[in-house]
Amino acid sequence: MGRRELRLLESRRLLTLLLAGVFLWSLSSVDWKGQLIHTGGVAAFWNFLSALFPPDLSPGFLRLALTASWQTLAYAVAGITLAVLIGFPLGVIASGSVSCSPGTGLGLAVAVRFILAAMRSIHELVWAVLFVAAFGLSSLTVILALALPYAGILGRIYSELFNQVPEEPLRSLRASGASPFRVLLYGRLPMALPDLLGYTFYRLECAIRSAAIMSFVGIRGLGFEIQLSLNDLLFGQVWTLLLFMVGMVVVVDLWSTRVRRSLVS
Amino acid sequence: MSSSSLNGAHLISADGISKSYGRVQALAPLSITIGQGERVALAGPSGSGKTTLLYLLAGVIQPDSGELLLAGQDLTRQQPGKEKAGLVGLIHQQYDLVPHLSVLHNVLAGRLGQWSLFRSLISLVWPQDRHVAEAALAQMGIADKIHERTSHLSGGEQQRVAMARLMVQGSRVILADEPVSSLDPARAEDLLEILTALAGASGKTLIASIHSPQLMRKHFSRVIGLREGRIEFDIPAEEATDQVLEKLYDLDQSEPFVWGGGN
Repeated sequence: MGRRELRLLESRRLLTLLLAGVFLWSLSSVDWKGQLIHTGGVAAFWNFLSALFPPDLSPGFLRLALTASWQTLAYAVAGITLAVLIGFPLGVIASGSVSCSPGTGLGLAVAVRFILAAMRSIHELVWAVLFVAAFGLSSLTVILALALPYAGILGRIYSELFNQVPEEPLRSLRASGASPFRVLLYGRLPMALPDLLGYTFYRLECAIRSAAIMSFVGIRGLGFEIQLSLNDLLFGQVWTLLLFMVGMVVVVDLWSTRVRRSLVS
Repeated sequence: MSSSSLNGAHLISADGISKSYGRVQALAPLSITIGQGERVALAGPSGSGKTTLLYLLAGVIQPDSGELLLAGQDLTRQQPGKEKAGLVGLIHQQYDLVPHLSVLHNVLAGRLGQWSLFRSLISLVWPQDRHVAEAALAQMGIADKIHERTSHLSGGEQQRVAMARLMVQGSRVILADEPVSSLDPARAEDLLEILTALAGASGKTLIASIHSPQLMRKHFSRVIGLREGRIEFDIPAEEATDQVLEKLYDLDQSEPFVWGGGN
């Protein structure tokens, strides 16, 4: 091991120690006895939880919950679809794997990485506030507000997945005269596909959550109904709506597992 | 006329090419010329620079110095594409296919240098030049595997797929990086039979790294011995006796070798 590497290792250990120290010190500033949990908070929480039972399963409300879920799911799917359409080409460029000349390709990759970072550094709710101002409470607002930050996240992850595939088959393709773009098509893409899909499905789950909380800016859907029921203190309805929420995420998860399995075997 | 015959005589001409990885010199500046239709075996212990030399000849990596001409063209400045693909093809130790693609697409990847980008793209949905791939796979004796996922094939079958790709590519030079190192003697023999037939049928040049002296003498016309990135010898295959090769692979280099002295 060279002296430089040793020094790097030492400085890394030092940093780890420092961060661990900061964490321990931060624990000392917590007041463990007094107000960590609000007095009577536990009781209030249990009251709230028990009030959720029984869930409201009347046909009329189930129909409403189904409509609201459908609306939220539609927003999430449309948002993710647009995010994939934007994030995929940006991810390809950001990976730096398709540059014709190394110099310009790298510069472009860095620029695109910056754009992706900017897109995802703004939360979907903040985007929603901006788009409500521009387009009002329309579907376009929700879809764009979801698509931009998610495209930033997907593009970033896609670019990493493209670069994490084994190098040997790519080298072999290059030896057959394949240009970088063809190497992407025949090597990087098929090898990264299971992970690309898996991650996109995971992001679809997140988008369902995000679409639900769009109620904060007044968009209809599951979150909106939860808010209404909470305001009316109809906790049984809240419980039903939450069940629908969980159900949707579970279904997407099962679907994702199925698609991935069919790809791998 | 004279220039084309010169190209024929020296299909490959390397002048002082070298390659280092960081501070490790993989290949000291070396010069070789190899003609059309020659069958060259590269011998030498691990780390002697065989793979580096093959990759340089394939244009997969670039030399740090020197000049490398293939059919009179400077390979180091050439973009991937039709011309380069028509010149050199490379087959690897681990076959290095794309495991997720079907056998058909892995074989057709040999055409990527010739196809337009659009054709490469639609071939993923509607395979192009399908008959070429079918013919190559039939010749390799695995025509029935055409629609299988490549990762489902055995090692030997994958190696045949890699060779079918090489056939489809149709390059003038075939480079093989330790093609038989993971095979038992019978399969190694079989594979070299195929490889030399593939090369011999159309007067292609074959350059392969090989360790077995018997295989070298049987299938190759010339043996280049490498050690520590240098050419130790460059001799006709029949002169590559077991003794000569033993010395090349000898771990203890300081021990003086006595010709004919045995050991």
